[in-house]
Amino acid sequence: MLARSFQAKLLYFMVAGLVLLQAATLAAVHVSGRRALHTRLADELRVGARVLDRILEGRGRQLSETVRVMAADFAFREAIASEDRPTITSVLQNHGARMGTDAVFLISLDGSVAADTREGRQVGRPFPYPALVARALPRGEAAAVVAFDDRPHLFVIVPVLAPQPIALVCIGFVVDETLLGEVSRLTGLDVSVWIPAAGKRSLVSTLSPPLQSALLDQWERLSPSAKDPLQGSLRLGTTTYEAQLQPLAAADEGSIHVLLQRSVEAAWEPFRQLELQIFLLSSAALLAALVAAMFLARGVSRPVHALAEGAQRIERGDYATPVAVDRDDEIGRLATALDRMRAGIGEREERIRHQATHDSLTGLPNRTLFLDRLGHAIEGAKRHRNLVGMLMMDVDRFKEINDTLGHEFGDDLLVEIARRLRKTTRESDTVARLGGDEFALMFETEDASRAVDIAGRTGRALESAFALGGVSIDVKASMGIALYPLHAEDAGTLMKRADVAMYDAKRSHQPFALYEAVRDEHSLRRLAILSELRHAVASDQIEVHYQPKIDFATGRTVHAEALARWRHAVHGMLPPDEFIPLAEQSGNIGMITKCVLRKAIEDCARWRGAGHELAVAVNLSALDLYDPELPTLVNGFLHDRGLPPSRLVLEITESAVMKDPVHAARTLRDLKDRGISLAIDDFGTGYSSLAHLKRLPVDELKIDKSFVVNLDGASTEDGVIVRSTIELGHNMGLKVIAEGVESAEGWKLLATFGCDMAQGYYISRPLRQEEFLAWLKESRWGSGGGSERA
Amino acid sequence: MRRLAAWVLVAGASVPGRAASLVVEVRDPGGAAVSAAVVYAIPEGRTPLPPPRDAVMDQKDRRFVPHVLAVQTGAAVAFPNSDNVRHQVYSFSPAKKFQLPLYEGTPRKPVVFDKAGVVALGCNIHDRMSAYIVVVDTPHFGVTRDGRTELQDLPAGAYSVRLWFSGMRDEPRPEAVTLAAAERRELKLSTARP
Repeated sequence: MLARSFQAKLLYFMVAGLVLLQAATLAAVHVSGRRALHTRLADELRVGARVLDRILEGRGRQLSETVRVMAADFAFREAIASEDRPTITSVLQNHGARMGTDAVFLISLDGSVAADTREGRQVGRPFPYPALVARALPRGEAAAVVAFDDRPHLFVIVPVLAPQPIALVCIGFVVDETLLGEVSRLTGLDVSVWIPAAGKRSLVSTLSPPLQSALLDQWERLSPSAKDPLQGSLRLGTTTYEAQLQPLAAADEGSIHVLLQRSVEAAWEPFRQLELQIFLLSSAALLAALVAAMFLARGVSRPVHALAEGAQRIERGDYATPVAVDRDDEIGRLATALDRMRAGIGEREERIRHQATHDSLTGLPNRTLFLDRLGHAIEGAKRHRNLVGMLMMDVDRFKEINDTLGHEFGDDLLVEIARRLRKTTRESDTVARLGGDEFALMFETEDASRAVDIAGRTGRALESAFALGGVSIDVKASMGIALYPLHAEDAGTLMKRADVAMYDAKRSHQPFALYEAVRDEHSLRRLAILSELRHAVASDQIEVHYQPKIDFATGRTVHAEALARWRHAVHGMLPPDEFIPLAEQSGNIGMITKCVLRKAIEDCARWRGAGHELAVAVNLSALDLYDPELPTLVNGFLHDRGLPPSRLVLEITESAVMKDPVHAARTLRDLKDRGISLAIDDFGTGYSSLAHLKRLPVDELKIDKSFVVNLDGASTEDGVIVRSTIELGHNMGLKVIAEGVESAEGWKLLATFGCDMAQGYYISRPLRQEEFLAWLKESRWGSGGGSERA
Repeated sequence: MRRLAAWVLVAGASVPGRAASLVVEVRDPGGAAVSAAVVYAIPEGRTPLPPPRDAVMDQKDRRFVPHVLAVQTGAAVAFPNSDNVRHQVYSFSPAKKFQLPLYEGTPRKPVVFDKAGVVALGCNIHDRMSAYIVVVDTPHFGVTRDGRTELQDLPAGAYSVRLWFSGMRDEPRPEAVTLAAAERRELKLSTARP
């Protein structure tokens, strides 16, 4: 992160630049330092050589003076003049000792050695340095370094004047380490002197003994033939020296060599100190620059960083925190633009999110949000060990209301329901519209009984009539309640359980129901059945049973109602209640209807063949009415079996007709035109208006069995309803049939009411085709046909 | 007074009779006249020498006067001190080694130079004072002035004429000269090395 940041790049650039600059400076200093060092060393060596010459010269002059004083001493001259050699020698020795040397000579004016303090070795021989003598006579003194006795000597020659020269006295001083050390102290150089002709042992040097032996190891290199100053580097041991080799100027040409040398390391030391100081200064400057650069870079990068952070916040979905970079430059403008973008995106996202999570009609949370909240509530409940309740509710017969009063009215109704629901619930509860007329309510509680309170309160909230656009309508709702953790462990399951409970309520005509686990087993069975339904038709598991309808006038069977039964391999015989709604939901009802139609027509034809003149009644589903092929199909079946259309009665429930009365009327008209009889089934349970009924081309009305089953008196409520329905039917020119007749009292009452036909367990339960045929022959209610009775 | 007497004495000796004289001119190799050179003629054969004449080596203004003094062997030379500072005259020359301790005025005894040779004189107090006394075994000698000197009163006969000058390394070859009576001979000598 840091490595890629703008700040880091800027820093790297600046620091790298500085480092390069410093390095270049150091390198330049180093190179020029080295160059200066060599120049300086060369100068030092040259100067050193001159200093050596000067010192020797000075020493010579100084000694000359001393010797001259000695030579001027009268007693000395007297001794010299004595011509007595032992005397002369002893005088010379005496003065030599005073001056710290043992090499004192007396030289005759003819150039021969007249006396020699060193046991008279040279006496009688020519003095070996005649040039010195020649120089000394006119000048009164001469000094030179000579190679004498394999050692460099400073020879000083002074004439003895009386007052004319009578002889010369020569004193030789060994050029030793002390003398060279003086040079060394003055110049800082190491000085070595030797006589090439005399070999290694003539070396006199200020070097330490190990270095001297190292020098002697390189003897060959130090060419004795060198005449001129020769500069170069010399390595002794581990130390490198800059050295100058040259003949000693104060000596006869080439007779003595002098080597001046200086340790490069030692000479470099001041430069090294300088370099170290420069390096330290550079480092300090670099550090200062780094700090400055960091401040500078931060000044640039901090707003950029703030921008990046702002952008990242937006990326994370945080639209609430403003991108605030208060600057007047481009970055400031960019920040402003980014902030506007943030606000725009935030607003849009909020809108989209609201749309995605809320129902646009009622403004309530939608299914997604509800499930989400339910999930959260369950998570919370897991920690706090409380209950989460979910109430699911749908509006009974909302479809009919919608169809009857219009979608706009339906929408207004939903909005009003939503408003009332919201009003009855607490702030912490969530009310949602799951879709269509389905609402849900979520609440947290510690007491399961509160669920009942809430259901009651919700029911009461919907109790008062809804007055919308001048229409007042009563609305009933079915509610199902499931509780976490009693009924489900997660939101999805809890919702399904609430749904199951709601259908229970609906089925049992209760305002609400709490989820019951056993019922749900039942619903699982429903699901299994649903999946097997298609197979059931194909494999002929659908049987048709028949229940007779008796004509009150004759007491004989006139009709047989065909009732579908599913002989299920596992669950046994299933009544239509269990699979017909499922077939309707899954779109398989047409298949079943056709199967039943075909079988019923076949069987009816069979009965006719056996002499029983019956009509067969088949139930149609609401969905069948939408099948445009149905009339043709029915016609085909009748024709195939040679059954007159009048022998077929199609029963349609009141509610099926009411779902789409116009379309239903059209289909029924078609069937009627083909000569088929039509009956309204389960009459009295729906909302059918007489106006509608009047327009339908029906022949019969079947009073719903809920009115007939408990019929035990003409004055009871059911009795009144049944009697008035019969009268109504008759008035409209319809035959009236009572279903669910289970007692003789019922039968008698219906006969009294003038009912046309009756059907029920009092007469016979539904029977298989063969049983039914047998029953027709044997029962008193038989068709009256058949070979035996006829 | 004594000096004057000596001079008279010399002048007397040179009174011409039948004696010959020798005029010697001394020049250096470049032809320049050489002053203060000593020319002396030693007669051939053994002839008795006359008694030497005494001489004076004065010290005046811290100088020896004259710078070069020629004397016959055995001559006594007085060393008067005419300066107001003391002098200490010495010689380490083999011909005559002596020293006159620090003194003023004239020492009581003159120094007798009884051996032929060159005596270099010095003053132990003043190194720069220098003089020569050339002691010769003949009464016939002279010191050049402006390159010339004249030896007078020379009896006729054969002579070996010799030359000494300051700074001489080797003595030039003696010039053999035979003089007739009353002859006046001119002789040219050179300081060139033989």
